[in-house]
Amino acid sequence: MNPEYRLSRIKSIISWVIAWFLAIFALFVALLPFFFMVLNSFKDKFEMLTKGVFEFPDKFYVENYTEVLTGNFWHYFLNSVIVLGVSLVLLLAISAFASYPLSRFNFRLGKPIYAIIVACMSIPVHVTLIPIFKMTQNMGIYDSIWALIGPNVALGIPISVFILTSFMKEIPREIEESAEIDGCGKIGMFFRIIMPMAKPGLSTLAIYNGVNMWNEFIFAYSLTQSSANRTLPLAIWEYQGQYTMNTPMIMAVLVLTALPMIILFIFASDRLVKGMTAGAVKG
Amino acid sequence: MKKKSEALALQRNKETNRVAFLFLIPVAVLLILYIFYPIIDAFRISTLKWNGISPNTTFIGLDNWIKLIHDPHFWSAFKNNIIVMILSICVQIPLGLAMATFVEYAGKKSKLFKIVWFIPMLMSSVAIGFLFQYALATNGGIISSVSSLFGGGNIDLLGNPDTALFTVIGVIAWQFTPFYMVYCVAAYTNISTDLYEAAQLDGVNKRTYFAHIALPLLAPSLKSAAILSMVGSLKYFDLIYVMTGGGPGTSTELMSTYMYKMSFAKFNMGYGSTIASGMFLVITIISLLTMRLLNGKGEEK
Amino acid sequence: MKKRLLRFAAIALSVMMIVSLAGCGSKGKSSSGGGDADKTITFWNIGAEGVNKVLLSYPVELFNEQSDSGYEVEFVATQNDSYKEKLVVAMSSGECPDMYTSWSGGPMNEYIESGFAQPLDDLYEKYGLTDRLMEAGIAQSTYDGKIYAVPTYNISVAGTYYNKEMFEKYGLEVPKTISELEAVCAKLKENGITPFALANSTKWTGSMYFQLLAARYGGLEPFQAAVDGSGSFEDESFVYAGEKIQEWVEKGWFPEGVNSLSEDDGQGRQLLYQDKAAMDLIGSWYTGTLKSDSEEFYEKVGWFPFPAVDGKEDNLPIALGTVGDQFISFNCEGDKLDAAFELATYFSSEEAKAKDIENGYLPPTPDVATLVDDPISQQVLSTIADATAVQLWYDQYLPPAVADAHLNTCQELFGLTTTPEKANEVLQAAMQEYLDEK
Repeated sequence: MNPEYRLSRIKSIISWVIAWFLAIFALFVALLPFFFMVLNSFKDKFEMLTKGVFEFPDKFYVENYTEVLTGNFWHYFLNSVIVLGVSLVLLLAISAFASYPLSRFNFRLGKPIYAIIVACMSIPVHVTLIPIFKMTQNMGIYDSIWALIGPNVALGIPISVFILTSFMKEIPREIEESAEIDGCGKIGMFFRIIMPMAKPGLSTLAIYNGVNMWNEFIFAYSLTQSSANRTLPLAIWEYQGQYTMNTPMIMAVLVLTALPMIILFIFASDRLVKGMTAGAVKG
Repeated sequence: MKKKSEALALQRNKETNRVAFLFLIPVAVLLILYIFYPIIDAFRISTLKWNGISPNTTFIGLDNWIKLIHDPHFWSAFKNNIIVMILSICVQIPLGLAMATFVEYAGKKSKLFKIVWFIPMLMSSVAIGFLFQYALATNGGIISSVSSLFGGGNIDLLGNPDTALFTVIGVIAWQFTPFYMVYCVAAYTNISTDLYEAAQLDGVNKRTYFAHIALPLLAPSLKSAAILSMVGSLKYFDLIYVMTGGGPGTSTELMSTYMYKMSFAKFNMGYGSTIASGMFLVITIISLLTMRLLNGKGEEK
Repeated sequence: MKKRLLRFAAIALSVMMIVSLAGCGSKGKSSSGGGDADKTITFWNIGAEGVNKVLLSYPVELFNEQSDSGYEVEFVATQNDSYKEKLVVAMSSGECPDMYTSWSGGPMNEYIESGFAQPLDDLYEKYGLTDRLMEAGIAQSTYDGKIYAVPTYNISVAGTYYNKEMFEKYGLEVPKTISELEAVCAKLKENGITPFALANSTKWTGSMYFQLLAARYGGLEPFQAAVDGSGSFEDESFVYAGEKIQEWVEKGWFPEGVNSLSEDDGQGRQLLYQDKAAMDLIGSWYTGTLKSDSEEFYEKVGWFPFPAVDGKEDNLPIALGTVGDQFISFNCEGDKLDAAFELATYFSSEEAKAKDIENGYLPPTPDVATLVDDPISQQVLSTIADATAVQLWYDQYLPPAVADAHLNTCQELFGLTTTPEKANEVLQAAMQEYLDEK
């Protein structure tokens, strides 16, 4: 065998071994806190305090889960799902609309508008609290889950447009030009060419914004007041008091809150993989 | 002939503008209502002496702004933000890229990795704050236990003003790196697979392919990632508020936590809004400048 | 075509402006209550969980059953951490709820000065509440000579909870003076026990040591003088407090990494449960907390008031804490105010008092001592009965900006990253800034 080839082969094997080793290490680092979150959700409150967070429970204390699941959990869950579904669809559609002219057109206002949208990313969230509260009151949707959709969508726009524009810019010109020759208009182009090509970007956005909206807390508590209109992140209130908190119960709520997102991510990342063609599979 | 093509170009131009306008309306409406209006309001309030709740306000002109410029707390918070920013960019993006590259090269077997690696991003800040509070405890925490095993003794990470900020930055990186992984995975899918196949036919090995073909093609996405990370770190709030509340003392205070306390706990909405407006200006300037810088470089190439 | 685009933009912009301006103009039409706003009293509070929820919602149930005022109460509970912010956001838009709870002190004064609380002297008279509540509780509800709030269900003063078994094991006596306390600590430390189970990332926990040391050394006068501007936080009693704290930190009498431990996450009392620490200086709501964690452990626990500085025993009867935590203030008028106030009186009804005591809390009523049989609660109450004054916690009493400065400097004292003189200088500067702006 060619020695040079052998050397490179050995090198390649060594680097793969190192890469796998590091990858598995990272796997533990990413998983351990989640594991302990699950573990502590099966402890009794006093047991957690006496034995510490990192020990196994004596017996798996399922009562935390039964109590959470027989409470208001499903109601909050439904609210969260509705808010997430509506906000996410609106956000993705609106951001895609805006990113299309910003990335593919050559028009005079393009650059200044893009700069303004980027500037909008810099807004500190807490500044918007009082104005949005006032607006929500005036629109008459205060204390309803619909109040949460506006801020969810609007505050997601700057980052989403920013990401999507950069993804859409990468789509090769030639595809567009050939479609243009076939007599495809600007609007047709958007739906037939750009949207399908932007799928990886859209799924990244869906994941990122989906997680943010699912865990969104600030607007959920300032724009609603009755427990009928609460979303999941507010569910932990029921176990968090002035001087104490029932940590295992909170962990149970948080595990149950994270699970749907994990399932959704598995599904969404599958779509991401489908966008990825032969190259990855062969590698 | 010439006239006809000119007319055609004009018509196309018209169509471009009309479509652009149509597609930008929804964004414009939402941004004006939910972002322009609040930020303009913040600038207005920054000229007032106001406790945030009283119907009575006093106009004090630029007094708050003068105070802000001379406020050592604001500038030390700004410095902390810059530290968060630099370390976040230097840690999260390379790690995210490395993870994405691994996922990309290792193929189907790596699906599990991608899912598990993403989990930190899915955990709420409350849970992360709580678990790391225990994991980082001076006595009995994970880091201390490992250090004691090697004879290093217990380490006080969160209670020591010299290390607290870096410790929280580590936890922030733990939470956000997965986002950059997903981002880079998506960027990889944009690279045409023909390129990889062609490179393989030419006998180019993976390392060369990565350095000379993939990386330059990923560069625009990485630049955007850097901007995202920059803006995100400069207005960061969550885990600092949950884990240290800006302490010990004020050693981990960020612009946003300082602004939040001023507006909502210390009843000084006028000055709180000044901090917020100042933040807005500073972040916008920094991010637009960086964008120009990065893009300028790209064009030279 | 460019013109047309511009015109479009101009029209769109002005439409949006009108929409948002019209929005601002119609302020005050809607009420945060919802439903039949006129006959509904909106009551904001922190009763989102556990004991707080029970004790705040029970009197509301009583009111809804028994009152013939014709009003209904809408009970809006928010978790503690976000509560103050939620109030600011609502008040800022003029949408203050009809009644709401607060911790009294600095923030309550802001609410009053901004016109979100009604003076209640006449209603106190009408419902005979003056006799049903402790004087100290009413004093903490008073601002500028008028009563603005009703104290509810939680007397809490700072004191030291300790592990009786551990004291017995090492032959220790309950200390009466600081030097005795120091001897106890030294002995505990020798035996590998951390004397104080303090978790100070929460900041207000360590602040209790500072407040008590200062009060035991110089009485309350230095503090009151510093607050009204005639004195200063650079007074020797505050220096004494800072020096003692740092001396104790250096001797290792607080847990390692004290500033990183979180009281909210239970990292303080965890040290008690694990027999790693012997004492915990904290508010007397801990009785309820410890009991609800474990009745068995509670059997082992004793209590003593923070000891006197040697030679300054006169200052021993000063208590520190809150007499009737969660003070209800009112933002409504006429019949509605009357009905809302009637609801507040249910907090000191016999049924409500019994409920409080059952849950380990002490209602601020003069007869509470006769209702309690728990020995620690008895001790707490006799401490209050003998007290010459009950000072509200600094962090609640001080103007919020000064309170923040106090909490930060105090935490730095525990971290040994500042000197007592420097810390007090910073605190005094914050106080001075407040006084100047006033």
